[in-house]
Amino acid sequence: MRTLRWLAVVAPIALTAPVAIAQSQNNIVKFAFTYYQPHSRTDGGIHGIGVPPGADAEVVNAATVLLTYERLLTPNVGVELVMGWPPKITAKATGSVAFLGDVLTARNLSPVLLLNYHFMPNEPLRPYIGIGINYTRFVDIESTLASDVKMTDSTGLAIQAGVEYRLNKDWELFAAIAKVDVKSKVVAVGANVLTATVDFRPITYTAGVTWRF
Amino acid sequence: MKRLRSFAFWSSCAALLAACGGGDLYVPGSGSPSGAPTTKGSFTSIVSFGDSLSDVGTYTPATSLAGDGTPPYFGGKFTTNETSNGQPDANPLGKIWLENIAASLGIVVTPAEVGFGASSVKCPAAAVPALATTCTAYGQGGARVTDPVGIGHDVGALTVPVVTQIANHLARFGSFQSSDLILVYAGINDVLVQFDAFAQTAAQAQADAAAGQITADQANLALFAAQEKAHAAMKAAALELAHDVVTQILANGGRYVAVMTLSDIVDTPLGNSLPAEVRPVLTGLSQVFNLWLREGLTGQPVQIIDTFALFKDAYANPGRFGIVNNTVPACDPAKISAITGGQVTDGSSLFCNATPGAPYNGLRTDADVNTWQFADSFHPTSGGHKVLGDVFRAQLQSFGWL
Repeated sequence: MRTLRWLAVVAPIALTAPVAIAQSQNNIVKFAFTYYQPHSRTDGGIHGIGVPPGADAEVVNAATVLLTYERLLTPNVGVELVMGWPPKITAKATGSVAFLGDVLTARNLSPVLLLNYHFMPNEPLRPYIGIGINYTRFVDIESTLASDVKMTDSTGLAIQAGVEYRLNKDWELFAAIAKVDVKSKVVAVGANVLTATVDFRPITYTAGVTWRF
Repeated sequence: MKRLRSFAFWSSCAALLAACGGGDLYVPGSGSPSGAPTTKGSFTSIVSFGDSLSDVGTYTPATSLAGDGTPPYFGGKFTTNETSNGQPDANPLGKIWLENIAASLGIVVTPAEVGFGASSVKCPAAAVPALATTCTAYGQGGARVTDPVGIGHDVGALTVPVVTQIANHLARFGSFQSSDLILVYAGINDVLVQFDAFAQTAAQAQADAAAGQITADQANLALFAAQEKAHAAMKAAALELAHDVVTQILANGGRYVAVMTLSDIVDTPLGNSLPAEVRPVLTGLSQVFNLWLREGLTGQPVQIIDTFALFKDAYANPGRFGIVNNTVPACDPAKISAITGGQVTDGSSLFCNATPGAPYNGLRTDADVNTWQFADSFHPTSGGHKVLGDVFRAQLQSFGWL
């Protein structure tokens, strides 16, 4: 099932890639580690019957690996698809219910499609910036508070800035920082019904190797 | 920005073949019943299921003046009883909401069962042939939704649960009729039982924490678990009640069916007597019940009378209903204890008589059954019941049924 989802994500991109622009080395594949640092906040905490005032939750940091593919349309402009191995994200209770500890885990399937601009394409050290969209779907959601938890999908803006450093004709190193707009409504149904809207506000720090071909 | 988001949304849906539709997630309890009658009913019976709030005299023999179960009786209903008026008439004194609504419709309603301990009689009104079909008030003090062991069962209260009350009606009458006005009002005793269990766990946890045997976090976790357990029991009771309504009442011919939610018991002298920090737990038990009752009745052809909102409004605005005191019980526990020879010490209104001048009058000296809301720690006076009856009647009128 997971493989199928990944295929569904990749296939349309591959099919619509502009093959007419035949430049040398306009395909870029990156493999990287990423550190996911959310600065989450809820819309006034956890809502539900009998929930004490000040009950809240926050998402804790996570790490995962990324695979990206970028197609250069010109020497400066490329379209990049970022896919991560879905990291396990954890939310812990805070505020008046901090004693509950970790209350929810989920994996976020979170592809990002970006339009990048690369400065100084012929220099060995090149900055780049990008803007695009992120789509996030939460899967494998589990909670200690309720037997049935659902989270809405999220679509939002993504921006990034990074640098690439050329090692040789085919290989480079890169590092990037990105900010993504991820918001999800959580509905947890057990004996009670709990709801919260979580604005994840993640910043991701990514570093890895680049292969151009 | 909005435009960009909108573009981003659709393009991502297309590009990623993701199922972006769907919108908001379903939240249980956010639906409503639908399909109940909207036309005036031609009612010849009121069929009522419930607990002490709907009890028209099940335990009357327990209030025998002679103490042997024989008349005359000085109590029998969970309100400020009056025994001097005898026959059903327009006088609301000593009557509960159900009797007031019945009287306004020209319908006589009598207890489905009367007795205490091992001896009880079903449909005692049938001794008079003309009244044989009037014994459709099934509410019994202490009764729960499903559990036959209600409050007071250990000391002789019948506490036939609502599920059995409905079965008893079907056994006696075969089915429901479209001329039945069916009122289902139960669950408060489930709240009280669950709250009691929670309170015991809470007291233990607090004592253990105070003694240093557990940490504050462990005590909080114990309280949280106890609250969750109580919520689960209230959810189960609510879904059972909804299931009974659908499979036993609607499926057996019930047409005009109104189901009451539970009010906030915090808005009573009992609630006022609790420490402030546990009151929200008590409120929450009614709310969890109401949520799942609503969920269980979503799409069903019934009407819900939301006592939670209606009573909260009435409690906050007593003057609108002619109430001047909604904090002090009208019945005097000391007097009732004296009248019952020390057997009833909690001031239960079941044993509270309000007949002026009667030697067994159990009212506080300055109490007024018409302007004080509560007879005991949470049952209404006859004046409080008049408010309930008026509020319910207005609801039934708003449904177009009266």
